[in-house]
Amino acid sequence: MGKKKSVALIVLATLVLAALLFISVTPSFYVSAAEKFNSLLSIVDLGTDLGGGYYTVYYPEGVISQGEYEMLVAEYEEGQAADTDVEDPAQNYLAYKGIYLSKDICEDDGNGNPTGEEFEAFRAEFRRAFNAISARFESKGFIGCSVKVQDDYTIRVDIPYTDESVSKLFDSFAYSGTLLFTDDGANPNEMRGDAAHVKGAEVVEGTNGFAVAINLTSLGRSEFRTITAAISGGSDSSSSSSSSGGTLYIKVGDEVLTQASVSSELDQDVVYISGAFDSRDAAQTIASVINSTLDENKVFDMKLDASQIFTFEPTMGEHASVIIAAAFGVFILAMIVLMLVRYKGMGLAHVYGFLLYALLLIVCIALIPAMRVDIVGVIAIALSAALMVFFNVYAFNNIREEFATGKTLTASVKAGYKKSLAFTIDAHLVLALLGLVLYLISTATVRYAALIFLIGTVLSAACTLAVTRFFLYMFLAQPKNKIAFCNLRREETEDE
Amino acid sequence: MSKQVTKKSLIVCLAVSLVLIIAGAFMFGFLGFNPDSTTKDYTVIEVSDSAGYMSFRSDFREALQDLCEKEIKAEYPVSSVRYTESTSAGGVIEFVLRSGAPTEEFLTSVRSAIASSGIEGLELADVAVSVHNVVNEGYTEYIWRTAVAGGVALVILFAYAAIRFKVGMGVAALVAAVHDILLTLAVVALLRIPAGVALIGVAAFSLLLSAALNLTVLGRMRSDFRNQPEGLTAREAVAQSVASSRKNVLIVAITLAAVCVVFGVVGAIVGMDLLTIMLCTLMSVVVSTYSSLVFMPAVYACIKERSDAKRAEKAKYNYLSDKKKEKEEKASAKKVAEEA
Repeated sequence: MGKKKSVALIVLATLVLAALLFISVTPSFYVSAAEKFNSLLSIVDLGTDLGGGYYTVYYPEGVISQGEYEMLVAEYEEGQAADTDVEDPAQNYLAYKGIYLSKDICEDDGNGNPTGEEFEAFRAEFRRAFNAISARFESKGFIGCSVKVQDDYTIRVDIPYTDESVSKLFDSFAYSGTLLFTDDGANPNEMRGDAAHVKGAEVVEGTNGFAVAINLTSLGRSEFRTITAAISGGSDSSSSSSSSGGTLYIKVGDEVLTQASVSSELDQDVVYISGAFDSRDAAQTIASVINSTLDENKVFDMKLDASQIFTFEPTMGEHASVIIAAAFGVFILAMIVLMLVRYKGMGLAHVYGFLLYALLLIVCIALIPAMRVDIVGVIAIALSAALMVFFNVYAFNNIREEFATGKTLTASVKAGYKKSLAFTIDAHLVLALLGLVLYLISTATVRYAALIFLIGTVLSAACTLAVTRFFLYMFLAQPKNKIAFCNLRREETEDE
Repeated sequence: MSKQVTKKSLIVCLAVSLVLIIAGAFMFGFLGFNPDSTTKDYTVIEVSDSAGYMSFRSDFREALQDLCEKEIKAEYPVSSVRYTESTSAGGVIEFVLRSGAPTEEFLTSVRSAIASSGIEGLELADVAVSVHNVVNEGYTEYIWRTAVAGGVALVILFAYAAIRFKVGMGVAALVAAVHDILLTLAVVALLRIPAGVALIGVAAFSLLLSAALNLTVLGRMRSDFRNQPEGLTAREAVAQSVASSRKNVLIVAITLAAVCVVFGVVGAIVGMDLLTIMLCTLMSVVVSTYSSLVFMPAVYACIKERSDAKRAEKAKYNYLSDKKKEKEEKASAKKVAEEA
């Protein structure tokens, strides 16, 4: 490579890296009074441990919170003062841990403990509801999501920040009852949504955005054809639908989960519901609810109320993510110094290669919607970065060994890279395959970390095999004493 | 020959690992993992304001928090205090207790302390004090799906190493990976390092790290065995390759260990969960390094010794079989002659 060409490329590469560095790590600032510049790092989606999120507490029908109970007491006292007939909450509710149980669902055993047949039925139904809610949130694959039992008869759910409407999400996941496809008419055309009719639901991406694909069984297909024919007006129907078509409601219990217009008879194995979802997450919510209702053990008959939603701080500490990013920065600086001291010119090429790798990884993590970082993701980033450093060091050591045997610098670089090629490809390929398998099969934290590791491995392979080598050639065109520039030495042999 | 790849060393390694894994499994069976804050059952005292006054008057919230903290800490040890805000209106100050179960009398005393505190704006807020007991539940789907993914990943690791390197190397890589995951989890259980959901991620990390480090050693062995000088025994050849790949393994291991230590120190400052997860990761790094430099080479040396012996046996010219053949031919010819 000529010197001029090399200078031009070095300047270009430096400018690209500087620009990437700027958009990636610069702290956010206001460009004008209304517009703010947000760096890529600041828009990375985080798990609950590093970024916090939302939580709610589901109260089953017949269970109220301390706050609600105190409001009832205040109403009662006001009623007493005004001499109006207001029921005494102490007569209607039984205090149990931090909640109050309605006497409609339990009796007092005399010691202030709930008991009775109705209470046993309530407990069994609550367990089913808990299992269903757990399954719904687990199938969403939230990173750092937790579903816990609070005070034995309420459910506390923590989820990370999400782009979809969080109140709609918490409400939809509380729907109870069986799945039903109906036109909701006075004399309704209906199909039960159970395992005999529906195989499952999944999210698909089409030209019109995201859709929920509902896979029907053969029985489901034939019944679905009948009801869509009736709804669209293709056959005799007593429903309210006109010949120009009607609306198909997909309901869970009494609640409408989603709805779709039907203009013709549909005779197909897979039904697509589209148009109502602005994101994959929103469509996934519907699919998760549908799938959970197909398992008989997860169909429950209990109204759950999640009227209050709270935000919470990262579980690892308020500034955990910033401090981790800063620690990474310090670590990278230490590595840069070490590589420059040990390998000089080759170290410089590594620094450029590594920075490009790190910045591209930040770009991917920030811009790919399916990527989220939690502490396991941080470990995955560290592993992938350590491998990137190792494979460059491995190649440099091979170059050193080749040079020590008496080869020229250019021949040593070629031979050194050739020597490390097979193992570098092998290791990256195996690790990428393992990452891919973990990503495809696993869920939640491991799934996200595996995706980060997979992308990190691919970037590491590209940067080790091509980018760093290219930068090395680029830098080697400049110095007069290339051997000293690369900190290389010949093997010393003693004359006999 | 290096002491690390002798039969004796394999037996010692296997014995140590088995004892640790079995002890860890018993510990897990009896006590489970020591839960961290994400998986621990806890009791929390909630001071809530449904009127939402504390969400826009931070001075009121701070005064209320200070008062409650003083009252609660006088009776119960508090592990953390956090403020959560409602998306509609209101906020909650949560006092997570390290131990103890507050009684209704205690809550009444806190309520009266608040009522008589004279904090400015108290009449505008709607403060309620309650205690909750939160019980963690298992993450079944997450655990079994990750376990299935780990199993498939192990098969792929074995297949790749067996096809690309040698079947024996595939077996060694597989055994080492399973050993590393189990030993990491066993050590975490035995040392009672607090661990939560992220421990499953550490197990997955252990698998990836084990694959990376073992492939580093196996890759070196493959290239060394091609130019292996005459007269080296299987164990000597393995020991030589391990010695020459030690530096490479240590580069990755030390880098990752340094990351764990730095983040662990950061964790000690910002939040204990980060420290404990880094301790778990450090265990994984130590186990994988030990496994790739000591355990896996000892396993592979055994395999190689046997396969080399078999190959040598096959390569021998079998005089005995020639004589046997001659005898059989003679016998059959005699038989034919007798029949005729």
